[in-house]
Amino acid sequence: MNILEAKNVRKNFGGVVALSGANLTCREGRITGLLGANGSGKSTLSKIIAGAYAPDAGEIAYLGKVVRYRNPYEAKKQGIGMVYQNLSLVAELTIWQNIVLGDETRKGYSLDDKAAKKKSAEIVQKLLPGLDIDKKVYELTPGEMQIVEIGKAVSAKPRLLILDEPTAALEEAQVKSLFKLMRELAASGVAIVFTSHRLWEVMEICDDLTIFRNGQNVASLDFDKDEKDAREIVFHITGSQKETAIAKNCAQTCGDTRLSIGSLNFGTVLKNISFDLRKGEILGIGGLAGQGQQELMLALAGNFRNLSCDAKIDDKKIKLTKPGKAIRNGIVLVPGDREVEGLFPRHSVFSNLIFPKLGMKRQSLFIPRKQYRKECERITDILAIKAAGLDVPVSTLSGGNQQKVVIGKWLTSEIKVLLLSDPAKGIDVGAKMDLYDYIVKEVRGTGMSVILYASDIKELVEFCDRLMIMYEGNIVRILETDEISEENAIRASMCVDEGSGEPVK
Amino acid sequence: MSLQKSFQAASANSFFVKYKKLIIAALLILFLFLLGEVTVSNFLSIGQILLTIKLSSFIALFGLCQMIVIAAGGGGLDLSVGYTATATAVLTASMMDGKNENLWIALLVALGIGLLVGAANGLLTAYVKLPPLVVTMAMSQIIQGGINVYTAGKNITGKPSPVLQIIAARTSGPIPNIMFLLIALTVIVMVFLYKTRLGALLFGVGANPVAAHLSGVDVKKIRSISYVVSGVLASLIGLLLLGNMGLAFKDMGSNYVMPSIAAAVVGGVPLTGGDGNYLGVVLGAIFLQTLTNLLVALGWGDAGKWTGFGIVLFLLLIVYVSNRRKR
Amino acid sequence: MKSGKLRGSGIRRITSKPEFSSFLMLVIMLVLTAVLQKNFFETKSIMRNINAFAPLILVAMGQAVVILSGGLDLSSGSALSLLTCVLTFVMKKNDPASGVYAIIIAFLVAILLGVINGFGTGYLRIPPVIATFATSFIWLGIALFLRPTPGGESVWWFGVFYDFNALKDVSGFFGTVGAFLPPALVLILAGCLLWFMVSKTRTGRYIYAVGGNNDSAYESGIKTAKVQILAYVINSMYIFLAALFFVGQTGSGDARMGDPLTLRSIAAAVVGGVALAGGRGNVYFALVGALILSLVNKIIFFADIPYAYQTLVGGAIVIIAIAGSQAYITASTRTKEIKIG
Repeated sequence: MNILEAKNVRKNFGGVVALSGANLTCREGRITGLLGANGSGKSTLSKIIAGAYAPDAGEIAYLGKVVRYRNPYEAKKQGIGMVYQNLSLVAELTIWQNIVLGDETRKGYSLDDKAAKKKSAEIVQKLLPGLDIDKKVYELTPGEMQIVEIGKAVSAKPRLLILDEPTAALEEAQVKSLFKLMRELAASGVAIVFTSHRLWEVMEICDDLTIFRNGQNVASLDFDKDEKDAREIVFHITGSQKETAIAKNCAQTCGDTRLSIGSLNFGTVLKNISFDLRKGEILGIGGLAGQGQQELMLALAGNFRNLSCDAKIDDKKIKLTKPGKAIRNGIVLVPGDREVEGLFPRHSVFSNLIFPKLGMKRQSLFIPRKQYRKECERITDILAIKAAGLDVPVSTLSGGNQQKVVIGKWLTSEIKVLLLSDPAKGIDVGAKMDLYDYIVKEVRGTGMSVILYASDIKELVEFCDRLMIMYEGNIVRILETDEISEENAIRASMCVDEGSGEPVK
Repeated sequence: MSLQKSFQAASANSFFVKYKKLIIAALLILFLFLLGEVTVSNFLSIGQILLTIKLSSFIALFGLCQMIVIAAGGGGLDLSVGYTATATAVLTASMMDGKNENLWIALLVALGIGLLVGAANGLLTAYVKLPPLVVTMAMSQIIQGGINVYTAGKNITGKPSPVLQIIAARTSGPIPNIMFLLIALTVIVMVFLYKTRLGALLFGVGANPVAAHLSGVDVKKIRSISYVVSGVLASLIGLLLLGNMGLAFKDMGSNYVMPSIAAAVVGGVPLTGGDGNYLGVVLGAIFLQTLTNLLVALGWGDAGKWTGFGIVLFLLLIVYVSNRRKR
Repeated sequence: MKSGKLRGSGIRRITSKPEFSSFLMLVIMLVLTAVLQKNFFETKSIMRNINAFAPLILVAMGQAVVILSGGLDLSSGSALSLLTCVLTFVMKKNDPASGVYAIIIAFLVAILLGVINGFGTGYLRIPPVIATFATSFIWLGIALFLRPTPGGESVWWFGVFYDFNALKDVSGFFGTVGAFLPPALVLILAGCLLWFMVSKTRTGRYIYAVGGNNDSAYESGIKTAKVQILAYVINSMYIFLAALFFVGQTGSGDARMGDPLTLRSIAAAVVGGVALAGGRGNVYFALVGALILSLVNKIIFFADIPYAYQTLVGGAIVIIAIAGSQAYITASTRTKEIKIG
């Protein structure tokens, strides 16, 4: 029977369409895989089903009844369990305490710890035999924490279990144990929804597959009847091939190497990254979300004190250990989350635009307002920032214009390398075009170099001269100008070998 | 859509919204004066008003220390201002001994004490990352202990130099001199905060330390400096306290600490940092002093003062700070 | 990524806990004090010490409960003062029954104080540091209303909270017991029993959960506001016990007597291994922390360091204690998030 049916679900986040009519059916005892590129809507749909978001339109029917949950806890009580990537564990408590948290049973007047431990031990042993459930969660590795999170959801005995990228932090052996558990649960009638970016996993464990693109599901494959063809799956994810020939005249305008990075390492997040960036080049960083791209941007901007890296800018050796050092060498960052990282929301546009100048050395005590105002007006013109004057709080601007302010504040200093961390996220089409127009013009005109990370692969394909694909902290592929296409990019992101079409493990 | 946005922007900019908190503070003061006039006669008179302003000056001065530390963000507060001032007063009283010649030495000593205390506070909060309220409270106790050790067994002697007395205690005609100081200070502070680059950096660091850091600004350094400034200011206020009282005693400054924080909250300084209008703090100080006068006039004395302060602060915290979970 | 097996010897497990180091410090302090004070192990001397240490021990245990739940109580001292004033305000010297009323009323007032603090921090989500800072002045003001100057009245039998001998005219039994057992000890044991009972229930577990990660606890369906209120109310119970002790000892109420205890109770909890961030630590070890702090004071006294230094050292100890605790926690936490700045 159908445990869950989602019909025509729509969801907007402040003007950006995340879901535009998504459908999903989950049947008892079946493992349904959700696949799609970044921003395709699969995560949003999962969260709506689990009660974390409310849909703007559409209907969710659980066990035959139409439901609308106000929070995940309500959904959990009804039997819908979800395992997120952002863990909801209490680090100071032990494994078994976390697994029963919120649902502890009592023996008489005190807590029944014995039963709790027994229950936890059972589930943990299935996933990771030998893990001591008396350990506190802060002592665990990320993989072990993920296991506890899974154990917590499973022990609530859900009828529908949603696993959102549960294997991201796990090693192969742990994944195998997880799959064994999933098959057990499915056999006992639980419906499971499973997302993963590793194509080989999806093909191995799922009974059927629903593929998302642009907020809708575009294909459903039932592995009982259909064949498991990786090429076909990738084709559905990327959509029909409109091989637009983008006139990239990089060969003419790109100059010598501007920035050369060698052996960049940071903990377990960035591994042995090396690349060269030429003058006047737009180098893209792609790949699935969360593979280390934003961390790489932060690292290049000098944010990590313990970064180990050989960096040279215009043949001069530099250290990228403090933001100030990067900035003085002309490397500036437009951060990913503009409200949190890039702006002072309550301050005026003017204050935001001039801020980096204040931190630089050898500045006068009094702010030369007249001079700065002229410069800000010029910047506002160049970037076409639409605001009711320079003195309005920057929080009143639209997302696109806010982003222009974030870029604008660097314009009066010499920028050699502009790091853009997902600049067009959540921005309307008009502002997006303005933004990229300006960037391309600057690049071609002044020889500024750009490193662009975008979660939307189309942007990367359209604007980049070269494209590096990251996977789990490594650069797995660098696509040269003539190799750049959406299909190639996605294939590289999922580690699907181009020749054979088979997923590489 | 764009018309709506520009309209929003225009009204966001309008006088009333921008100075909302100042207006509220001024209204509160007016309310109290009216209340006083109704319940106690002669409450609303020029003499009374001037006296209130004089008494509230010290709260306003200490409030400046708080404002600077709060504006730098990170939950900053400085509870050590009271005893820093006291320590300076105690140490310099015998140094000056009623003469003007040694005023310069006293100033240097004040500077030294302020720098020492401020640097310690700054280091412990910004670099060791200990909670500011607990650190400055403990520091306050350490200074108090220091004073105890210094004065153990002997009386505190000495008198302030006449210059200090003139500024702090005397009047020019009907107007207390300290009011001139306060007005001058308000102007200087506002200029500093809004027209200089240091002020802009301070507010930036408090408003969004992450954005400030990514723009190349050393957040920890600026936060430490804010405590040093607070400490030095507190020390100098100690000299003024000495001038006002005519002598130094062990509890000189401690009664001002809580009101200084309350004045900042009443004056609309957001406790999370990033913004602040010193005029608001001054109004807040006047409000608190008026409240005290009213309670004293009603015969409720010390008890009423503290209860009143506590309740006012708590209510304002609910209005300005409370962050009910929106799910 | 190996799944770390911290099996090793059980001994290693025990010694690496922060509680162990505080226990070790306690033993060292006891030895030092015994060396400096010749008659340390005599009954009379032990009784005197227990009486001297009791207030801090009780208030520190209550503070520990609040800190565990993720909060802080800067109004502990004022609350204690207020309760002593309430007790001596209600009691009338010549009316033995008024003592009973006083106890009931003070108990209810204590609960109210806890509810107000807990409501402000748990439901209204005002940061605990500044919320309790504000309420500490409300408590002070009310205490001054009741008792502008130290004084007040106390019934004849109230002394039993300080010395069992107060009842020796009632029954010889009390006289014999009073020779070696200070009621303070009974109060402390009551405190331990209180926590023992709470820690076995859901509330006890949830206090740790809410203190460890408020958001995760909320997402697991825990009513975090209610838990935080309960934590402050439990804290008030400990303060209530300390108030009984004080009035039993002095027979009077004082609006400022509790002030020094606020900061010391925080330091005691931290020295006893309770993390200021919440979720980690143990109320019984806050007791140990209080003992350590009290012994340090005694050592200063006996080492002939002038009394004047006590305040100074007290403040310095607070800073050293929380700095050390902070350093320990940063070192032992394994997960390092990628943070900016």
